[in-house]
Amino acid sequence: MCRERLSKVFLFAFLAFFLGQIFFWYNSNDIKPQFEIVANPPNKSLIKAMALGDKEFLFHSLALRLQNSGDIFAGFAPLKNYNYKNLYNWMILLDDLNYRSNIIPHLATYYYSNTQNKQDLIYIIDYLDKHADRNIDDKWLWLTHAILLANGKYNDSQKALILSDKLAKNTSDKDIPLWTKQLSAFIYADMGDSCMAFAIIKNLIDEHEQNKRQISAQEMEFMRHFIKNRLDKLKSEKFDPTKCRNYSKNYQKS
Amino acid sequence: MTAIIKYILLNGLRDRLYLGVFIALFASLTVSIIFGSTFLIEQQSATSAFSAGSSRIIFIFGVTLFVCLNLHRNFESKEIEFIISKSISRHKIILSYVSGYILSAIIILLPLIAALFFLTDSDSLGLFYWSLSMGLESLMVVTFAILATLILNNAFSAILASIGFYILSRMMGIFVLTIDLPSKYSDFLGNFLPSILKIISIAFPRLDLYSKSEWLTYGVADFSDIKIILLQSLVYIPLLLFMSFHDFGKKQF
Repeated sequence: MCRERLSKVFLFAFLAFFLGQIFFWYNSNDIKPQFEIVANPPNKSLIKAMALGDKEFLFHSLALRLQNSGDIFAGFAPLKNYNYKNLYNWMILLDDLNYRSNIIPHLATYYYSNTQNKQDLIYIIDYLDKHADRNIDDKWLWLTHAILLANGKYNDSQKALILSDKLAKNTSDKDIPLWTKQLSAFIYADMGDSCMAFAIIKNLIDEHEQNKRQISAQEMEFMRHFIKNRLDKLKSEKFDPTKCRNYSKNYQKS
Repeated sequence: MTAIIKYILLNGLRDRLYLGVFIALFASLTVSIIFGSTFLIEQQSATSAFSAGSSRIIFIFGVTLFVCLNLHRNFESKEIEFIISKSISRHKIILSYVSGYILSAIIILLPLIAALFFLTDSDSLGLFYWSLSMGLESLMVVTFAILATLILNNAFSAILASIGFYILSRMMGIFVLTIDLPSKYSDFLGNFLPSILKIISIAFPRLDLYSKSEWLTYGVADFSDIKIILLQSLVYIPLLLFMSFHDFGKKQF
């Protein structure tokens, strides 16, 4: 008799707690987990400890996470809502794990540079610049992307000039195409500074004539054409082209 | 000795170790290929890294579970006592168990290496060193799992100790690298826990230098890692073995 009564008490207790669970669900089902699109990255030591000696595995796991960040609750967040400062920190952190891979600069250049918020592009440009700094002879292509972004979408020719100057002067690999040395000239020409554009190209031709640099006949033809155009433009503006010699000397010195 | 090795290999078959780990490895390789293919570029290197990293974890955990549970069951069912009653020395029994378990591990490891060779675009020399390193890593894990089971006399404690040992050993590099021992005694109290961690790192192997997935993608650029691995194995595996000989020699049945 006593056991039967106890069994009923347990059954009522179960039903009471089940009702409690339903009540809890009713009040909690609207609470959604807070999800940051790009969370603040952990510090460098923690990430190295997390790698458990296998940095490559962790790098690819985190790179996949970075590639798919914003893919939340069955929808995609627009890039303007991303925290690009955090994104920059993540990319630098992932470069510490593996700087030889091109996955992260590729993502930065072809995906994250498409943000609607143009001010955020400075993070992408700075990241590509820092990534190229690790081994400029191997990573020069990403620096050219930074230059193109700075000069194009970000519309900051001065930044583009600083980076293109860095690209021209720091690469030593002979297989790197000549146009990496000419980029500053093109940017100056775009800015309307024909004199500086002239000086840079003239400097390359001088190097060729002094046997310091091997330049193909086609490239020489193009550069002569470029110089002729600049000179014609300067003449049409009634500017004395001989004054450009000073520019040329200054450029060589710098 | 050969009989014990054969018996352990059969135990692996009976416990469905090979089947279980193969299924888990197959699943991990499949998921790795799928994840690798979702990358915008360098899909092959991503597949190599995911396959090698995930299969290493599955392999090590599978081998640890098998050693701890199987050896503990041998104690529980008095099989060890039966073996001791025969004319075989105690250290030979330990050596037989180590050989049996490591052969079981190699049976799992060989198809895994073949899968990495055929399914991923891995660097051949890098894969060779990765395989060698995995073999030595599994030998270290097997000897530690045997020692933990002998000392703790409890399968679950031994499993937890072995997994804890493995994770800590893989984190040791960062402890050694980031913690500096205080130069003065007065600074010691302020850095008590980090200092203790640094001190205990003396007793742990540097497993963080073993089986790096980057070898599969970029090859082995620095052969000093390989020398350190060989030297570390040459020191630490005999250390664990002699400790097991000592503990098993003193055991009363």
